[in-house]
Amino acid sequence: MPASGSADKPLTIGISFETLQTGFWVASLDAFQAELAKRNMKMIQAIADGDANRQIEQVKNFITRKVDGIVLVPKDAKACIPIIKAANAANIPIVLYNRPPDKSDAKAVAVVADNFALTKETVTYMIGEAKRTGRKHKAMLLIGDLGDINAIGRRDGFEAAAKAAPDVLDVVARVPTEWNQEKAQAGVVNALQANPDISFIFTSSDFLFPSIVSALKSTGKYKKVGEPGHVILGGFDGDATAYQMLADGYLDATGVQDVYFEVEACVKAILDARADKPVEDTIKDPGFVIHQGNLKEKAPRMWGAKK
Amino acid sequence: MTAATATNNEPRTTNPLVRLLQSEYLVLLLSAAYFFAFLPFTPGFASTENAANILATLLPLFIVAMGQTVVLITGGIDLSVTSIIALCSITGAAVMSGDHGWLAGHPLAVPAGIAAMLLVGALVGLLNGVAITQFRMPPFIVTLTAMMFFSGLAIWLTKSKNIGNLPAAFNALGGKTWLALVVSVPLAAAAHVMLSRSLWGRWLYAVGHNARTSLVSGVPVNGVIVSAYIASGLLAAVAAVLYTGQAESGSPVLAQRLLLDIVGATVIGGTSLFGGKGKILWTFFGVLFLKLIDNSLNLLDLSYFTIMMVKGAVILFAALMDTARTKLGAR
Repeated sequence: MPASGSADKPLTIGISFETLQTGFWVASLDAFQAELAKRNMKMIQAIADGDANRQIEQVKNFITRKVDGIVLVPKDAKACIPIIKAANAANIPIVLYNRPPDKSDAKAVAVVADNFALTKETVTYMIGEAKRTGRKHKAMLLIGDLGDINAIGRRDGFEAAAKAAPDVLDVVARVPTEWNQEKAQAGVVNALQANPDISFIFTSSDFLFPSIVSALKSTGKYKKVGEPGHVILGGFDGDATAYQMLADGYLDATGVQDVYFEVEACVKAILDARADKPVEDTIKDPGFVIHQGNLKEKAPRMWGAKK
Repeated sequence: MTAATATNNEPRTTNPLVRLLQSEYLVLLLSAAYFFAFLPFTPGFASTENAANILATLLPLFIVAMGQTVVLITGGIDLSVTSIIALCSITGAAVMSGDHGWLAGHPLAVPAGIAAMLLVGALVGLLNGVAITQFRMPPFIVTLTAMMFFSGLAIWLTKSKNIGNLPAAFNALGGKTWLALVVSVPLAAAAHVMLSRSLWGRWLYAVGHNARTSLVSGVPVNGVIVSAYIASGLLAAVAAVLYTGQAESGSPVLAQRLLLDIVGATVIGGTSLFGGKGKILWTFFGVLFLKLIDNSLNLLDLSYFTIMMVKGAVILFAALMDTARTKLGAR
């Protein structure tokens, strides 16, 4: 079994994404394309448009085409189990990118960000900034889809950091967004109306920043870091909006998922599995926090900073 | 003369192009032409594994599209079917799941879960039908708001979480294609007979052609419309059984993105958006055509955006053809 692509017959990897709705997934797909091209491997792609059953069908198409490995971004942790079983039955290595499966007897490798630790680190940095103002802040948390384990990890990371700083933070609003811009916008507006003195906002994903910025602008609270009335802002992902907000001086910090580490780890896991080398069930991306103090140093590794 | 032959426009011209356009096998011929045209370029298109894959994904879509056919024949539309599928999915899963399901581990969990799903489907259909007939509201608005309400309800009830650990016997209904066939084929045969050979079928076509004339002629129009929406709800519930079994979990967003495929496949088959015309066999052809397109574009490794554009264009073409056929039939 070849461990990598050769000149004669390059390995083919099927990449199945649940969605391409946000910049993170688009950047990830691009990173897979680049990584596989670098290794002389071929990529075929399928996007399920948020439909778990369509994703099952698409992965079965990969199996029909006898791909050499499968990378899956599942719709959710449960519906991916029959997909993994189908790949197992066809003896094709399968790696889950960025979203782990529920526990089952199906065999897969998951490459995931350490959502809890990275969020806690990001929020702890924001709390440090809050402390410097010398007053207590009312905080808002934007929660993702709680059917997504990543959203749960980020929520818990925020809560753990907030719990450790009761003298600095009072969490007055927890906005459920279900990863939906419109819901986020309505929730943020409502929360700001109910608590006009909110001065600390963390979003579980950077792609929700446009909703936050819009709501802050409409209330005249969108100020640069250091300006009077600045609302301390933080997020998670490291997308292009977050990078621009950092560069423009509006964003305090964001936890960056290291797309390039995760993509490389996925491809390596498939190759190792094909070569019968041991592969861990879960490979964790430690990620990093990018903020005003380390922007220049860390930006080259931030996927949202790529032009 | 059966209801179908009385109401579905048969070719009445010698012009071969017009005859082809009016032929009820047009979409089947298009499917065959598409298959053979794409066969040389599409890796694995004709393999038995791929045929099994197409069949497995075609059957639940066909079942829910049958319900849409019945409703479209009456001149209505049921946009709530995707939310019915989601609501039925979580209801059945809540009954059967080994993780805190109401009947977890009980020997009757699977039949009770399926019965609950069918009951929910029929009830939502009944609500739609009653709202349309008793409050004289347009089907589009009633079923659109029903879709929003029941989708929201499904998400609220589950807090966006899927319900897993379903019994293996239930999962097999969606996972094993032969079992899905055992469910689908008799249903399709029954629906075909009901539409083409029963009084109820004649009433459906009559209401779709002209509800006022039907009422004057003694057709219980309101009852016929309500029954059509109940049938649509029930068939959506059956589709939910297969979809949920395939995914091995109940999901509050199951089938959320399927509406275009359901209405599109039905219309592509030849069922008219204007009412009074449609057949189960046509819907099968429409579903087959749409699935062939979906499957081949995936196998060709086209981008997601290209696939969406091609599918949208095909459905638009079908709607245009429906308009042309309706005009030709009226001549």
